[in-house]
Formats: sequence, structure tokens, C-alpha cells
Amino acid sequence: MSDLSRNAQCVLRILENAESLTTSEILEIAKRPEYSDICTDCAGGDAFIAAANELVSLGLVTKRFGKGGYRWSLVRRD
Amino acid sequence: MTDWERIRKDFPALERKINGRPIVYLDSACMSLKPRPVIDAMNEYYLRFPACGGRSIHTLGKEVSEAYSEARRKMARFINAAHEEECIWTRNATEALNIVARSLRVPKGSKIITTSLEHHSGSLPFVEKARREGLKLEVVPARSDGTFDIEQWKAAIDSQTSLVSIVHSSNVTGTVAPLREIVEIAHDRGALVVSDDAQYAPHHPLDVQFFDVDFSALSIHKMCGPSGMGLLYGKLDLLKEMDMFLTGGDTVADVRYENGKIIPEYLPPPEKFEAGLQNYAGAIGSGAAADYLMSIGMHEIERHERKLLSRALKALQEMDHIRILGTDDIDLKTGLVTFTIDTVTSAHDIATFLNDEFAVMVRSGAHCAHPFHYQEGILPAKGTARASFYLYNNDTDVDIFIEGLTALIAASV
Repeated sequence: MSDLSRNAQCVLRILENAESLTTSEILEIAKRPEYSDICTDCAGGDAFIAAANELVSLGLVTKRFGKGGYRWSLVRRD
Repeated sequence: MTDWERIRKDFPALERKINGRPIVYLDSACMSLKPRPVIDAMNEYYLRFPACGGRSIHTLGKEVSEAYSEARRKMARFINAAHEEECIWTRNATEALNIVARSLRVPKGSKIITTSLEHHSGSLPFVEKARREGLKLEVVPARSDGTFDIEQWKAAIDSQTSLVSIVHSSNVTGTVAPLREIVEIAHDRGALVVSDDAQYAPHHPLDVQFFDVDFSALSIHKMCGPSGMGLLYGKLDLLKEMDMFLTGGDTVADVRYENGKIIPEYLPPPEKFEAGLQNYAGAIGSGAAADYLMSIGMHEIERHERKLLSRALKALQEMDHIRILGTDDIDLKTGLVTFTIDTVTSAHDIATFLNDEFAVMVRSGAHCAHPFHYQEGILPAKGTARASFYLYNNDTDVDIFIEGLTALIAASV
């Protein structure tokens, strides 16, 4: 069982399938049926983004601010 | 004249620095910071008389009972209730509103009215009541600036209306509703009014007798009090007639056992609504919060916040890329401003950037007010950012907030 919250696991799963995503893209993808088993707390998005920031603290995700806002990426280890 | 800088020193959390920066806390509409007198009052309970109130006859029990009763009297003074028994401790305004929705009996087939501006806690308990009991539910839409057209209220409230649930001050637009006029219309037509005062009570003088509301719901954690504490005000005759919300210990005068039957005899308000062992430290801290705010003066706090809001609005209105929700008429507002920035895809980027780069703490999302966001064409995933001011904020906080937004726009355009 993962120590990560369901929100954090959801963010990781979404980022696994993309190079990088904006905040609103992550929130929109989280609502898709294929993520419904794990992404359940994204209605307002605040708790969800708090989980994403926690993943940044853990070194699992990076975020970069630029044109359009933040872009989030998975830290991929070979 | 109030020494606001001295007041700032009452709040230990403001002594913190994050990444070398002082905290700029602009999320008081969600949760206020706590002053030392509130923390001390709660600590006194835990350190000196951490016992059961209202039942144990020993010295510590007597001390907590007295402190608990005194706290209720302080809250009654704070909202100018006619009787302290009209003040029911709850966990938050949400619970208070649910007590009204669950326990108030209304005529079959009658109509409940609410608005498009409500916090979910002000609408959903009544949406569910209508569904459960087969009642009609009508929504009065707020204007785009968060104000109401009083003519729409006159048209909506009719002789079939049993209850009106209205947010007194919006947690999104900060607009203050014309509550007294709405109450007058409702009472003329035989309807009761429950006012969501979670955002109003911490920032304005709340006089429940002046507004003549039948019920009022407060979140004490937003008014310098402990988390997990709220208050339901209700007119005494209504509270007496209502069903209990929870039952159990401390709600009864006696429970007889006769002929194989258990027969309860319930206490009058407030006890009939306060089942089980209570949050004594929370209640005592709540009383201390009411004392603290009254010692400064609610009119003074209202003026201070509007001065800060005016400074913030003026700066925001001069900036490109910002859309402000709600009226800019300061006299109609609580000290908060909600906005979007078109150079970022989500309001969460605003909150994240301000926190990471400037230690400025604002709220982002749809603020549990999705219907109004949909009304304004803002999807909850994009959301809005909200900066809310309180008595411990100052001009420097506003300036750092604006500096942060300026940097955000420059970096994202």
C-alpha cells in the first residue's frame, strides 16, 4: 500500500502519460472516466494541487512557472 | 484610536517567517489566525480544570461548568441575542445550517428559497430537505456583481414560502445582502429566515435582534476562535418547537422506564441540541474570541478591513489581465476580493506562486460556491483566487500581495 494520498497517486498516474501538463489540464484529465477509480477529490482542485505540491517536496514531480502558469512534470528515473 | 500594529502582535503565527519572508496571511475567510487570549483561555481549561461540565459536582467540574456557561453568555452578547439559551454550540456554520434543515418542521408542499450565491453549506442542506420532504425549492439569482435585486425577492417569496436561506455576506464576492429588507418581506408573508453569517459575523457588528432573523449560523473559527467551533442562533420559541438533531446524554431531564418502554423527557434549549460531552475548551476559546473582538469593536474592525480592501481594489483595478468578481462598492462589502488572471490557466497557479515566491497565502478554487462560478462562466477547475483581509492585516500586506501579482503576471504573460 502506498504512503501517498489518493490525490497524490492520481497526479502521478496522470503525469505518467504526459511530458508536462498545466494545472488546469491535470484537473480536467482527473475527471475522465479512466481515472475515476482514484481521482475523486478534484472538484475544487485545491486539495488536489496541494497534493501535487507535496509530490514536488518529495522530489517525485517538478513544476516550472512560465507563460500560461505552471507546468508539472514527472521526475523520470532511468 | 486602535493600534493595529499592537494587535498584530497578539497573533503568534505572524511571528513566523517562511523562506526568509514574513507571512502575509490573506485566507481569513477560510480560517482566521488565533490571538494569544484565545489560546490562553483554551490552555487554561486544559491546564487547570480539564473536567466534565454540567455533571460532575467536584471543584474542577464546577469550574469548567462556570467557564462554559460564561462563554455562552459572551457569544450571546456578541450577536446581541435576547436570551443566552438561543445560542447553541455546533462544530461550524455548516452544522448549524443542517440543524435548521433537519429539525425545523415546515408545512407539507411549502417552498424554500435560497440563492445562487450561497456557499454549498447554505444551499445543500435545504436542497436535501426539499428532496426528502417533497418541498418546492426556488433559487433567487444574484447579479453578476454579487448584489440582489430586491424586486426578485418580492416576486419569489409568497404565502407558500416557509423558509428562506440566505448568505448574509458572500464568501466569493464579499457582498453584503440586504438582509433586513429580505427578512421584512419574508415575515410579512409568513416565512422564516435563516442567515448564513459565517462571513458576516467575524467582520461586521452582527445584531440578530436588529436584523430580526429567525436563525443565524456562525463559524467561530473564522472569528479568531478555535477550529471545530460554530454557533446556531435561533429564536427561543422556534428552538423549543424544533426536533432534536442528535439525542443522547445531556439532552434529557429524565428517561423513564415504564412497562418495558423507554420514555425520554427532553431539556429545553440549548441543552436539547447539545448531545454528549461537549468541546469545553472550544467553547471557552470561543467566548474569549468574542471578548477579544468586542474589546476592539466590530465597527472599528469593519472600517479597518474596508480601508485595506479599498487599497487592494484600487491597485487591482489599475492592473491588466485581472477580472474582479463582485461589486467595487466598498460599503456593500466584507473585506475580501476574488479575482481571476487571464495569463494563467488556473487560479491554483496564483495561490501556488504567491505562496512559493512571496509567502502570501490566498485561497484558490471555487470556494464551495460552484453554482455562482457556473453562473459567471467560470469552471471550478479554473476557479478563482480570493484574498481576504482581517484585523491583523496591514498596508504592507496589501502591497506585498500586489507586488506578488505583478511579478506573476510579468512571468506568465
